Amino acid sequence: MSNAIAIAKKELNIYFATPIAYVMFTLFVVIGSYFFLRLLGAYEQASLAYMRFQSPEMMNRLNFQDAIFRNLFGNLGVILIFIIPFLTMRLVAEEKRQKTIELLYTTPVTPGEIVLGKYLACLAILVIALALTLTYPLLVQFNAGDQNGVEWRSVLLGYGGLFLMGAAYMAIGLFISSLTESQVVAALITFVVLLMTWIIGWTAGEAEGWVRDFVTYLASVSHLDSFSKGTVDLKDIVYFVSIIVLGLFATNRAVEAHRWS
Amino acid sequence: MIEVSHLVKSYRDLKAVQDVTFKVEKGEILGFLGPNGAGKTTTMRMITGVLPPSSGSVKVAGFDVFEKPMEVKRRIGYLPETPPLYTDMTVRAYLRFVAEIKGVKRAQRESEVDKVATQTNCGQFIHRVIGNLSKGQRQRVGLAQALLADPEVLILDEPTVGLDPAQIIEVRELIKSLAGKHTIVLSTHILPEVVATCQRVLIISQGKVVADDTLQGLQRTHAGALTADGHPGPAPSLEEIFLKLTSA
Repeated sequence: MSNAIAIAKKELNIYFATPIAYVMFTLFVVIGSYFFLRLLGAYEQASLAYMRFQSPEMMNRLNFQDAIFRNLFGNLGVILIFIIPFLTMRLVAEEKRQKTIELLYTTPVTPGEIVLGKYLACLAILVIALALTLTYPLLVQFNAGDQNGVEWRSVLLGYGGLFLMGAAYMAIGLFISSLTESQVVAALITFVVLLMTWIIGWTAGEAEGWVRDFVTYLASVSHLDSFSKGTVDLKDIVYFVSIIVLGLFATNRAVEAHRWS
Repeated sequence: MIEVSHLVKSYRDLKAVQDVTFKVEKGEILGFLGPNGAGKTTTMRMITGVLPPSSGSVKVAGFDVFEKPMEVKRRIGYLPETPPLYTDMTVRAYLRFVAEIKGVKRAQRESEVDKVATQTNCGQFIHRVIGNLSKGQRQRVGLAQALLADPEVLILDEPTVGLDPAQIIEVRELIKSLAGKHTIVLSTHILPEVVATCQRVLIISQGKVVADDTLQGLQRTHAGALTADGHPGPAPSLEEIFLKLTSA
């Protein structure tokens, strides 16, 4: 385990010594803020309209969670699809190309520790990126006052869902990075795979019966949405956790197998 | 200390290493010679456990590389053909990382890093980013990395490539000073280096061992015909022996 932490520290050292981490944080926050401001604007318009029609039931039904955060989390989840391939692409591919993987093979480190260390490092980047966006609910909370504040339980669940989804995406990216020596190839394939997990959900509308349920289950964004609604369902947790476990296991095998090629 | 027996590595039709057998005693420096493509690097990679052999076995300090890889890795320092450097890190951060994964305790890590940096003369550029270093400087960082944690066995694949003459002499002196405590396998193309540092010479050609002897022993075996008055002919140089053995 201490070896895995040493490798995680090394990866973080490289993430922050190069512009990768900073660019990722900046893009995530810039695009996230754009969506947040749009949603906030829409919320303002809606509440003004309801006030004008003097419709208290509609006013009561309007809340921050459904109007802003649920959509915001959906949007942040989609941004992750675009950003994560660039975070995970170098993790193993670069070691193979630069032959630094020989160093890891000749020191007392197991493939499992290599994979775990690298995974922990990119999870740390994900946590920081998500923490930066906590500004949005905090801003809403400060300006709304107490009586009509943010439902923190639901917001934090949404963040939990985003974290799980990002973690699953990163496990996929890490695995694909371990299959090639080319970072560009790793990023492209990861991007296509992640994109598929999103757009496959669109076809669910055209299907019916068990096919519809199956396709909906495959789509990652549908699992995120139940978190952002403020609910926890075991099947969503199982979905993300099984992708993570499978991804890490496959990466472990790929790192081990690389020596035999 | 190192026992290599009947080592074979084949890539489909290509036989890179064919039935290589040799031993290195504790404290010995073995000069590992051979033309390009003879299988030197492949053999070294199999000794360190990077590459699994097609057949045959390697034992380091009595541990089989394949069955007890962790025990072997704890005892080996390896400088590959391309020094395995993370170009985005500084020399110090890099050496600290290698010390950590080699299991150097936190309390000794800094002093261990300083020690190898002094040994390999990396002190002046220890705070610089590896990507900005010259080839010779990188080579020295690679050597420093191999020396970390004071391994019993050192496998050095062309350690003096890219160094200037003064640095070559320094590294040569360093390697000599390590003899006795450490067992060293040194591959190189620079034959005077072997004459200067190694007690024994192993020459391989096309994947096969063609000579395994001390330098004097080699010179005796390959001495020219007796001169007219019955004295042995002039001792051949290592160059002559090398060319004779590898051209066949």
